[in-house]
Amino acid sequence: MATDIRSTSWVNTNHPAPAQKPPASEVGVVGWLRTNLFSGIGNSLLTIATLIVLYFIVANLGRWLVNAYWEPIWVNRKLFAVGQYPLEQLWQPALVLLMVSLLFGLSTGRWGNIMRNLGVGLGALLLALALIPIGLQAQMVMAASLGLLLAGYLSGARVAISSRWLAVAWVLSLPATFVILLGGINLPRLGVTSNFAPLVQSNLWGGLMLTMLLALVGIAVSFPIGVLLALGRRSNLPVVKVFCVGYIELIRGVPLITLLFMGMTMLPLFLPGNWGNPSQLVRAMTAITLFSAAYLAENVRGGLQAIPKGQYEAADALGLSGFDKLRFIILPQALTKVIPAIVGQFIGLFKDTSLASLVGLLELVAVGKAVIQQPAWLGVTGGVAKEVYVFVAFVFFIFSFGMSFASRKLESKLGFGKR
Amino acid sequence: MTSSTLPNQRPPFYRDTRTIAIMLQVLFLVVVLAIGWFLYNNMVTRLAAGNTAAGGALSWSFLSQTAGFGISEGPTFRPEESYGRAYVVGVINTLRVAVVGVLLATVLGLLAGIARVSNNWLLNKLAMVYVEIFRSTPLLVQLLFWYVGVIAALPPIQEAAPLGDLGYLTNRGMYLTWIFPTETGRALTWWLLGGIIVGVAVAWLRRRQLERAGVPGSGALAGVAAFALVVVIGYFVAFSASQMPATTAYELRRGDRGTLFEDTNGNGAFDLNLDRPLAYVPITLYGADGQVVASGMTNGDGAFRFIDLPAEATRLEWTTPAPLVLSEPQRQGFNFSGGISVTPEFAALLLALVVYTGAFIAEIVRAGINAVNKGQWEASRALGLNTGATLRMVVLPQALRVIIPPLTSQYLNLVKNSSLAIAVGYPDLFNVSRTIVNQTGAEVQGILLVMATYLTFSLITSLFMNWYNKRVALVER
Repeated sequence: MATDIRSTSWVNTNHPAPAQKPPASEVGVVGWLRTNLFSGIGNSLLTIATLIVLYFIVANLGRWLVNAYWEPIWVNRKLFAVGQYPLEQLWQPALVLLMVSLLFGLSTGRWGNIMRNLGVGLGALLLALALIPIGLQAQMVMAASLGLLLAGYLSGARVAISSRWLAVAWVLSLPATFVILLGGINLPRLGVTSNFAPLVQSNLWGGLMLTMLLALVGIAVSFPIGVLLALGRRSNLPVVKVFCVGYIELIRGVPLITLLFMGMTMLPLFLPGNWGNPSQLVRAMTAITLFSAAYLAENVRGGLQAIPKGQYEAADALGLSGFDKLRFIILPQALTKVIPAIVGQFIGLFKDTSLASLVGLLELVAVGKAVIQQPAWLGVTGGVAKEVYVFVAFVFFIFSFGMSFASRKLESKLGFGKR
Repeated sequence: MTSSTLPNQRPPFYRDTRTIAIMLQVLFLVVVLAIGWFLYNNMVTRLAAGNTAAGGALSWSFLSQTAGFGISEGPTFRPEESYGRAYVVGVINTLRVAVVGVLLATVLGLLAGIARVSNNWLLNKLAMVYVEIFRSTPLLVQLLFWYVGVIAALPPIQEAAPLGDLGYLTNRGMYLTWIFPTETGRALTWWLLGGIIVGVAVAWLRRRQLERAGVPGSGALAGVAAFALVVVIGYFVAFSASQMPATTAYELRRGDRGTLFEDTNGNGAFDLNLDRPLAYVPITLYGADGQVVASGMTNGDGAFRFIDLPAEATRLEWTTPAPLVLSEPQRQGFNFSGGISVTPEFAALLLALVVYTGAFIAEIVRAGINAVNKGQWEASRALGLNTGATLRMVVLPQALRVIIPPLTSQYLNLVKNSSLAIAVGYPDLFNVSRTIVNQTGAEVQGILLVMATYLTFSLITSLFMNWYNKRVALVER
């Protein structure tokens, strides 16, 4: 008798067996250990070897950290922050910090993206400094900066601030910083001298403040030069092209330190005799800017090359002039693409400013050297060099790693480098 | 047929893009030249006003003047030699640290980069911590840390404990056991050279043979074996033929020191530039009553010196040495003799450059390996290759194409970064050039010389790496 296929007697009407848990060796801590540390004999041996190495590193490092003598850093915290800037005029750097925090907050709210990541980092840093008892006034400044950062963020996110005005404010903040730190304007050669506070000459500026200033000026002032050089390198005019290629390759082929020494000793030679000698800070900044411009040009060139030919052709078809084509079509796209590269370059430049200590500027590393030499620590066995350099490295690390982390977050968000 | 008649007139010449292009370039050139002339003119005026030792004019004659300063490392340099030669010594010192640095940084970077893609979580994270710490802090700070914080904190020479048979680490430098060719081992140089030629030839032949047979593999192993064979034969030939020069003589001064040399002119005295000193020859010193007072070995320059002898030595005997000798550093008062020494400056600079550049290379290697399609790993696994073979034969050859260009710029960075030597006083080319400039006032010439040298290095490295890149590049139709 043929089975009636409509009968459902072959269907198992029992409830399906409950799913069993995966074996303990595949999930949880044990499973994780098995996949990541002990997946085979070779892997297990590697893990054990690494553990032994790690033990020695951690044990020695831990012993050193516990016994290290951190007094010199704590005592000299003002020196590390602003150098020999007069104590009673510290409200001027504080003002700059407040200004930058506000601008940062506004930009974070307005633009988001990498600014948001950097803004979060800055906020965390300000919060930490406000909580550590570095000094009541300093803590209050940090707290106020944090407040301005938050206020700026909230208003930037709610109120439609013109992006252009914000950019203009950023550009103006640089000369403003110089005026505030100097305590006025002092250009005797042009006959302009006016001040709102006793002038603080740039040879008294130092510490982290100077390091930041060197890096920021380096990247900001070199930006227009770098863009022009990049455009020149891709120009059809052979004379312009040869000049730009020559400049870029010449600068990239020599170490920054040669340019710094050149700026220190040769820059005054290039100026007319009656102009006097520019200050050490200006000389170092000139060298760093000329150096940075060549690298920036190469980064911008990368962005320019990434723009499809069709964009140029479409702009031509629209009848845009050469300048308008760059201004409205090419540069906005190219510069957006190279933001991560420029952040990377800024990190490099930030680290490279340490070389300014070799030509007599009192930036972070030079302050460290000076602290090591202080007579108060002569009695410490083994000296305090390790502690001081570890601290200086730590400060650089916080900023560099923070910035590169923010940039990487942005890259993964934009989908760069993803396949 | 009517066609719209375009007015067949050329635009006025000042609207012609070709004319505009030429005009723009002329304008650009004029502006650049004007600025250049302005700067140059100011410089000449100021130089003429100042009274530098170089005498205002941009003369290069200072290069042949007597330097008057010594250089502590590298090829022997005496103060009575010229500035030009001092600079050459500086260039050699830069190359010394750069070449060793590039090799070691590549090894470290490769290992750390492979660790960064390892499945082993612990190793992976350890490599990550290394990379992030050393990439995110300035090289100068690292250099000063190694130099002032680590090397200067090592024990002084008197208290240094030996590292087994390897040597000593002190705050005045590292003293390491090393193999040296002795007086009878000089012929080995030719055997080494011959070994290299034979090795390369055998490797090439072996590769061709393998290619013809269609077997994968390289001829490197055969080449190395051939090289080793030639060198070993050379050693035994040199060993059996070893004899001391017939005119071997010695000079003994103050009963404890002197020189062993080949007395070419037969006058019995050591003449610095005429007689040839005999290196690493075993010697025994005898006192007046014939008892042995000391035994040891001459130095690399044929000299010997003993301290705290029980009696004054009056006579010396030598024996024929083996072609190669293992020389261990031995403490002699406030110094070491024997072995090779590495100065703290060199050690710190090398360490800093290698650790810093290694971190960057590790990231490049990681990116390169990640750029190889995952399917390549899986396919190679499916073929039954293990991880090592997969890496060596499938992944790394493909990753190299991605790795080479950024690696080149890291090598160039290392060479340029070696100029930080000035921070610890290692006499590299930049440091030497600053000394020269400070003494002669030839500021402009000094900078030009240094820039030209670094540009030459960059050019040579780029050319070599471009050639290598072409070799490993994907061969397409």
